[in-house]
Amino acid sequence: MNRNVSRIFAAFFGVLAITLPLFAGDYPLQVARNIMLYMALAITWDMLLRSGQISFGIAGLFGLGAYAAILGVIRAGMPAWLSILFAAVFSGVAAFLIGLLILRLRAMYFSIVTLALGEIFRIIVHNLHDFTGGPEGVVIQQGVIFGGNANKLYWLALVGLAVALAASTWFEKSKIHFALTAIRDNEISAKSSGIDIFRWLLLAFVVTSAIQGFLGGIFVQSYGFATPDTVFSADFTLLPLAMALLGGVYSTTGPVFGALLLGLVSEWLKLKIPYGHLVVYGIIIIIVILFMPQGLKQLVRRDAGKTEGRNA
Amino acid sequence: MVVKRRTAFIVALSAAAVVALILWKPTVLIYGLQAAGLYAAVAIPMGLVLGIVHIVNLAHGEFMMVASYAAYFGCRALGMDPLLAIVPTAIVTAVFGWIMFQLTIRRALKAPELNQLILTFGLAIAFTQSINLIFTSQTYKMPLDYVSASMDIGDLTFGTWSFVFVAVAIIFAYGLQLFLTKTTTGKAALAVGQNPRGAAIVGIDVYRTYGLVFALALALVGAMGALFLTKSAIFPSVGSPFTMKSFCLIAMAGIGNIPGILGASVLLGVAENFLRAFRPTRDWAEIVFFVLIIVVILARSLKGRKS
Repeated sequence: MNRNVSRIFAAFFGVLAITLPLFAGDYPLQVARNIMLYMALAITWDMLLRSGQISFGIAGLFGLGAYAAILGVIRAGMPAWLSILFAAVFSGVAAFLIGLLILRLRAMYFSIVTLALGEIFRIIVHNLHDFTGGPEGVVIQQGVIFGGNANKLYWLALVGLAVALAASTWFEKSKIHFALTAIRDNEISAKSSGIDIFRWLLLAFVVTSAIQGFLGGIFVQSYGFATPDTVFSADFTLLPLAMALLGGVYSTTGPVFGALLLGLVSEWLKLKIPYGHLVVYGIIIIIVILFMPQGLKQLVRRDAGKTEGRNA
Repeated sequence: MVVKRRTAFIVALSAAAVVALILWKPTVLIYGLQAAGLYAAVAIPMGLVLGIVHIVNLAHGEFMMVASYAAYFGCRALGMDPLLAIVPTAIVTAVFGWIMFQLTIRRALKAPELNQLILTFGLAIAFTQSINLIFTSQTYKMPLDYVSASMDIGDLTFGTWSFVFVAVAIIFAYGLQLFLTKTTTGKAALAVGQNPRGAAIVGIDVYRTYGLVFALALALVGAMGALFLTKSAIFPSVGSPFTMKSFCLIAMAGIGNIPGILGASVLLGVAENFLRAFRPTRDWAEIVFFVLIIVVILARSLKGRKS
């Protein structure tokens, strides 16, 4: 019964999301695109978190994808749609190679290394003037994808979100869920149950990074330019993290609602206080960690503990 | 084991120094040392917190940034020199740090490590963005004459003011070492760092000690915040790189090894200035830290797995 209700809700929101351009103006569409982008990033961050690994490198892989896409168009003459796929593959392969090295690290060491890697990508892009355009960045001469049609750009962002949602659901419904949860709960007992920890972590890391690269590709194609400071901006790490934490981690629904809420609030705050509206994110992170470690989910679903217990 | 690590450090250090001298770039050595002093002086308080409270304080650099702002506006209101503001800023920052510790970090001490990491990350954002909100992203700088003091040796001219950071770093490192080994409070802190439960059994108030150590570290950060004003302009994100760099130095020296931070920072400072000395590699100096932090962490994890 409960499941049916949530299915009806999901279907309703799905139809609403797809048909939004038919009755919303350009500004709401732009806001919706932003929220969807951050929502998708929040979901991918949470997907890796389900294995207990906390990444601070979202911006790094996002930016890497963004530059792969834009340079694919400019240097290799790729069509826009192909460059977005190329971004996903590029970030995925990069994550695979990096993952081979760093996925043996745990806890703060993993987090710090992902943060450092993001900085390294940014500096490399910043310094390879001839290839990447250096600090001034690069612009796509032939213009934005779809000629800048707001509706089509919206649907493109929706595709990005759909990919993240699909991957997250796949992670939740398949045996990956059990593997990642077991690794998060206790690595030793996971290992003795025959789980190849490294392989599952690598899978999760590569899939989430590829999606982050894909989103980077979509982002850069919809704006038509990239500079190191915009695409490697710390916002792409911070905002998704705060959104997922607020909504509640270890699920798909948590980041979705967190992103919806924070996205709308911050859009409103942006109009009120142009400088430093991000302070809200910092405060939300602190409050959530201290008082409701399970996020809003804790308040909405009173039986959360019961369900979690059954799943674990 | 510890001795072996030290000798490895010394070998690496002297190798770097020799290379720099052979290439006849004495400025590399001078500016490298000055930079090393600054890095070490900022990193040492973080090492103290990590070694005893076992918290990776990702808001470390941001605490210094806040202290710098406090010192700047204090100095400007009273027409004071930043050097006179060192002690007041240290006290104010220590109190502020103690309050922040009691309000936030203390509650997360028993939580999983990830929560602590995210919590201090949240503090960092809250600090940077609050300052951004209040003072905007404008930069502030103290006009001071004595910082441009310079020295000539032969046809070589270099600024001497930054050597003050080297002195401060050495004072911090050995002062803390004395505090931890000679005073009762210091010994208690060391005991808590080694084994909180054991320390509680012998009657040490663990949480009080954590609060004290955090406040002491923040006092040092506050002093550095005022001193930092003499050298650099301040803006909301000025502290952020220091968090990463400090963590990098601590990871290199090994958690709990405060004098080791001095050696690690000399290595990094010289390496960074070495790249900066040549035109083609100048822009890449920034990357040294991040590459080294990854290499050091990976090397440690490999070594840990073998033994």
